[in-house]
Amino acid sequence: MRRTGTPSWLSTRRGEPGLPGRGDETAATPPSVARVWAVGGGKGGIGKSFLVSNLATVAARSGKRVILIDADLGGANLHTCLGVRAGERISLSDYFEERVLDLEKVAVETPIPGLRLILGALGHTGKAETTQEQRTALAKAVRRLPADLVIFDLAAGTDRSTIDFFLEADDGFVVTTPEPTAIENAYAFLRAAYYRKLAGALSESNVREVVRVAMDQRNERGIRTPGDLLGEIDRLDHAEGDRFRRVLATFRPHLVVNQVRDTEEVKMGFSITSVCKKYFGIDIDYAGYICFDDNVWRSVKDRRPLVLAYPSSDGALYVRRIVKKLLGA
Amino acid sequence: MIPLGEQNYYDLLEASPEGTPQQIERAYRIARATYAPSSTATYSVFSSDECASILRRIEEAYAVLSDARLRREYDARLRRVEPGAGLSSGPPPVATAPRARPAPPPLAARAEPRAFDAELDTGLAPENGVFDGNVLRRIRLSLGIELEEISATTKINEHHLRAIEGNAYEHLPPPVYLRGFLKQIARCLSLDAGAVADSYTARMRESAAKRG
Repeated sequence: MRRTGTPSWLSTRRGEPGLPGRGDETAATPPSVARVWAVGGGKGGIGKSFLVSNLATVAARSGKRVILIDADLGGANLHTCLGVRAGERISLSDYFEERVLDLEKVAVETPIPGLRLILGALGHTGKAETTQEQRTALAKAVRRLPADLVIFDLAAGTDRSTIDFFLEADDGFVVTTPEPTAIENAYAFLRAAYYRKLAGALSESNVREVVRVAMDQRNERGIRTPGDLLGEIDRLDHAEGDRFRRVLATFRPHLVVNQVRDTEEVKMGFSITSVCKKYFGIDIDYAGYICFDDNVWRSVKDRRPLVLAYPSSDGALYVRRIVKKLLGA
Repeated sequence: MIPLGEQNYYDLLEASPEGTPQQIERAYRIARATYAPSSTATYSVFSSDECASILRRIEEAYAVLSDARLRREYDARLRRVEPGAGLSSGPPPVATAPRARPAPPPLAARAEPRAFDAELDTGLAPENGVFDGNVLRRIRLSLGIELEEISATTKINEHHLRAIEGNAYEHLPPPVYLRGFLKQIARCLSLDAGAVADSYTARMRESAAKRG
């Protein structure tokens, strides 16, 4: 494991006044500019961990230094997709509970050269929630990891921590399958991310309050859609309305449709893109789809990424296409 | 974010103003499927009334953009409005125009990347430059185009299309027709027609040579 910085036992504790926070202990190392991806989608069982492990494997094999973070603290299983046994191994909880101060030291090797993993097992306290402070520290530390690409595998649902990791990333991926349940949850996920991003970007407290009200779909002010919200904000404060539009222009999640069986389901990606444009006013990038492929469950059973176990399968081809599109690798 | 009522016909169909008639047709098919009453894609976001209203506007847009003469007239109006037109200036467009007449010009014509166009450019061309039947099929699927749509546009029989995609060389049409068919298919998929025809037929000859 490469490490040239100050030993972690010399590190300052986070939150001490006047001292650099956690994550600064590697200041001696030239700062790496890791690109950060986060993969979410709302519903469980739609292939987030499958996608993350395969995207990461493709990137690592093309020569990128990749670190995966299993941010699903309550239901971590990314390690299994990569053939890593969790056991009593060091995990993200050790970092959150400050038993290990250097994030890189929490990363373990995987069978794939160039690919390391930060496990998401529960800590001793068994707590799956994180505090805002912990998340901010993690987001900062992630940027200093000696990696070219860091990928967060997010939990199902729209918890604040999940949405924060999603918004913190350079590229956020929303995964869905063509089923109505998965699509409904994908929209719920996007809605949560959308309002949280807006609330974080707007500066006037009365305007932020309107966003907060709008998040409740049955609010009394009659704000039903993001379009209504924009109208309401424009009425209150035109400058904030303009800020709203600028923030929207920077919110460009990627969409991946998994388990596609036919042309109709390929088109689902275009349809979701269209709905997002017309409803949220955002340009989603339809990054790709992955066709339904029996080799996928075989590879999961083998505990090996599909792209290694069945490199010539259709599923592997589509995963490589997504990576190529995003990284040009 | 442009309110639905102020979107121009290209925005409504999410098609490029430079789009070919085939691309307009394709955008329309996708839009129609997206906002259809039974659509999974709109469920939980738009109410059925909202979908019906969007669908009406999509039909209105398509009625104009699918007609070469009406589209020319509409484009001319767009160009007149475009220079310096702000989002908040100009009269609101009439929501329900008669099908046969071009609707009032929208407030602004925008030039920003469309999902469909972006998808056309990225990651679809084969790595080795070989366009065999599998590659053509994958590209077609990724664009959400059905075989019957290609058949309807090109008048090529579906069983020929299937044979081409299946690399079923023994069932292919005679060579004189094959090149023309391949070029037509390539155009439907926004691919380089000459390159596809050359690559496919070269591959076919290699295969024939191998079998002796």
